[in-house]
Amino acid sequence: MGLVRRNAEPEPQTMGPGDLLAQLDDPDPDRRREAALGLEAESAVEVLLDRVATEDEPRVRDAMLTTLAAHDTDAVAAGLAVHLASDDAGLRTGVAEALASMPESVPAIIPRLLEDPDHDVRVMAAMVLADLQHPEATTWLTVMIKDDPHPNVVASAIDALLPSLGPEHTELLERAVRRFPDDPFLRFTVEAALR
Amino acid sequence: MTETQPKVLVVDDAATVRMYHSTLLTEAGFEIHEAANGLEAVEAALGTAFDLFVVDVNMPKMNGYTCVETLRSETVGTPAPVIMISTEDRPGDADRAYAAGANLYLVKPVVPARLVRISRMLTGRGVAA
Repeated sequence: MGLVRRNAEPEPQTMGPGDLLAQLDDPDPDRRREAALGLEAESAVEVLLDRVATEDEPRVRDAMLTTLAAHDTDAVAAGLAVHLASDDAGLRTGVAEALASMPESVPAIIPRLLEDPDHDVRVMAAMVLADLQHPEATTWLTVMIKDDPHPNVVASAIDALLPSLGPEHTELLERAVRRFPDDPFLRFTVEAALR
Repeated sequence: MTETQPKVLVVDDAATVRMYHSTLLTEAGFEIHEAANGLEAVEAALGTAFDLFVVDVNMPKMNGYTCVETLRSETVGTPAPVIMISTEDRPGDADRAYAAGANLYLVKPVVPARLVRISRMLTGRGVAA
């Protein structure tokens, strides 16, 4: 996935939201992509949320995610977050990138993501936090390292925290290794982080 | 006679994972190259004949399944073995990896000795122990 650059938007056109919604059914992926980028109206959010999981052309889906992420609302955050558990790797990683670009609305759903019973979802949450521009992102990653019961989640959180790691995190990291003494990757990760 | 080191491309968006796999395989005698996502991997594979790919699943820009499909497509067309490694252990993940063209699907964390043993087996090279 890759969120679409704003300068990649379609040429200005006179089509209304109704026409663009109809264009989402066009068999030509370029036409669907153009429609997805043009559907900036709030009224189109529900449709785009419905279709983002069924659109099988990656560049069209990326366009939908770009348009949705620009809204940065609670409804979009909640509607996208469910796809972090998707079996479709392209969808879940694309959604993680989109959520990471939504600093207004995503913080409200982070506590729920950190409590998700599926450790794969919590790994994706660490991926979101790695790039989320929010002052609490570091705190949430710290909580994951300290408390999450799954070593893959802890390792993902450590990797996400790498750019912000400082001496104040040494005890946190060493404690993580003690929690999972039989995990060679986690031990390596911590040793690398402390270097 | 000095045997050429098998070239391995380690593909993962997580710097620590790349470092971990690279360290293990370097110590086992492989020549390691790294890529941070599928796109970088495809670009690297277009310029270098790798003997083995170690590919993550969840990556930005191009996920692991698409990366492996592209490596197997006419665009790249590499016959080199591919190990996919992921945190994902849902039913069907391995099937998707094999459908994309991977030779093996492993769930993180991978036991170091196992990764080395499998890498040696798949490259079929006499890598120094």
